[in-house]
Amino acid sequence: MGDKLTREEVLHVARLARINLTEEEIEKYQFQLKKLLDDVDKIKEVKLDSNDKLIAPVDEKTVCREDEAGEMLEPEEIMKNVPVSNGNFVEVPVMINE
Amino acid sequence: MSKYLDLSILEINGLLKEKKIKPLDLVLEAFDRIERNSDLNAFITLDREQAIATAKELEGKEVDNLLFGIPIAVKDNIVTKDLRTTCASHILDNFIPIYDATVVKKIKEKNMIIIGKTNMDEFAMGSTSQTSYFGAPHNPWDHNKVAGGSSGGSAACISARLVPLALGSDTGGSIRQPSSYCGIVGMKPTYGRVSRYGLVAFGSSLDQIGPMTRNVYENALLLNILCGRDDYDLTSSHRDVEDFTRLIGEDIKGMKIAVPNFFVSDIVSAEVLNKLNEVLDLLKKNGATVDYIDIDYIDNAVTLYQIIAMGEASSNLARFDGVRYGYSVENPVGIDELYSRTRGEGFGEEVKRRIMVGSYLLSGENAKTYYTKALQIREAIRKSFLKAFEKYDLIIGPNATTTAYNLGEGLDDPLKTFLDDILVIPVNMAGLPGMNVPMGFGKGHLPIGLQIIGNRFDEAKMYKLAAFVEKELNLELDPREVR
Repeated sequence: MGDKLTREEVLHVARLARINLTEEEIEKYQFQLKKLLDDVDKIKEVKLDSNDKLIAPVDEKTVCREDEAGEMLEPEEIMKNVPVSNGNFVEVPVMINE
Repeated sequence: MSKYLDLSILEINGLLKEKKIKPLDLVLEAFDRIERNSDLNAFITLDREQAIATAKELEGKEVDNLLFGIPIAVKDNIVTKDLRTTCASHILDNFIPIYDATVVKKIKEKNMIIIGKTNMDEFAMGSTSQTSYFGAPHNPWDHNKVAGGSSGGSAACISARLVPLALGSDTGGSIRQPSSYCGIVGMKPTYGRVSRYGLVAFGSSLDQIGPMTRNVYENALLLNILCGRDDYDLTSSHRDVEDFTRLIGEDIKGMKIAVPNFFVSDIVSAEVLNKLNEVLDLLKKNGATVDYIDIDYIDNAVTLYQIIAMGEASSNLARFDGVRYGYSVENPVGIDELYSRTRGEGFGEEVKRRIMVGSYLLSGENAKTYYTKALQIREAIRKSFLKAFEKYDLIIGPNATTTAYNLGEGLDDPLKTFLDDILVIPVNMAGLPGMNVPMGFGKGHLPIGLQIIGNRFDEAKMYKLAAFVEKELNLELDPREVR
């Protein structure tokens, strides 16, 4: 314990979130994340009478709409924002090594 | 330059109907005002060309509703077809949406004219709008103060009278708190009242879009056209659309008002408490009753917010990966590097911090220790609120513990931004409607706001009380008149 997380702890959290950090950021987040996580820890002390949970405050039954084709977007439209494309394909780096 | 935008919506509507003015007059006046107040940094993107084209198209149409031809500003986390939507983030600074959010469709159907996209905290994460990639907006009452956040640009542009109407979004106070700091009327409707389709998701179980305006009546008018069931948002309510102006002007005699003790505890500054007490006296004098009550676990709301909002955010923001849209790093080696470098360079400091904390809190055993526990406390808070509403019509208190503070203050403290929202977060946890109506001024003539909280779907009753307070206090809310 102390007032900061270890370097490895920060890198672990950053890895979970798929976020690359600079050296300067790692150092800063060692203190900041510790402060936030310590604060959140207060929740462990709270005593409750019930285990009922509230995930979202909706009191109507949520029903999926019928699976019918509706308005559709054109592939050209969708491709407009794609950073790297080839025709109507989205290009990404190689994912599977041979 | 004309001064039509100083008139009420009803007056403008009259002039449009009598053909004394055209929508184009309003649009040009709005852009003139925005240009002369560009130091406020209220907008990220302006849509001058399209707004003028729309205004000209409207000249051939019948003025068929009160909001016809009225310029409106839209928060930059609500997608607008063919108009850049950045969420005030580098990761979306080149993003052009290919569809309209449901609320945007609705405002276009009523022939309102979108002027531009307003500044905000990056991905709505913050309480001052200072986390914006495009720099912070300024408070029109004092340019050295924050406008509040995250809907700071929308609040500033209404307060400075640049446009009469704006849309904001509220996940943990992001409509009410900047409305309080800037002296305007802002409504966070009941969760489910307004479709979230096209609102870039932050905390999906908390987010809600709402109207930000100069006065109570115009706020209700705008909410009238925003709400309703939408098949594209499963959580939107099937309830009938109602007229939210219908109780405005009614007597408040016999209204039962509750004030949570937490809202008048020592976390609130003396000048805010004094104003609240003046309002309570006013209500009592006019036949309302006021009781102090306890809402269970309300003091834990900030912690719950840190867990629930950050957890949901870490999941929602996983979509920003450099693959389908937005910023993407060049020549990444492997898919993992594409993700992590894009996100590392594309997101700002606050957003990265929140995603990391959220990811951590939801990982492995932590999900049970923190997230499940938070959901249990959340239910207890909701039950306590609902119990209070069995006895009381409305719950009131302040929206913020202080008035707007200096730009640059508190940026190094990761907890400060959450504590700024300590009085507004409970409403989002319970899915209740909450609003701000100005109730006076503090030191340096900075606005102080009254928070009105209603039972689920009780917005009309909230507008009734808000309109009463507005009329009785009769404050000068135009900063140009006093600065």
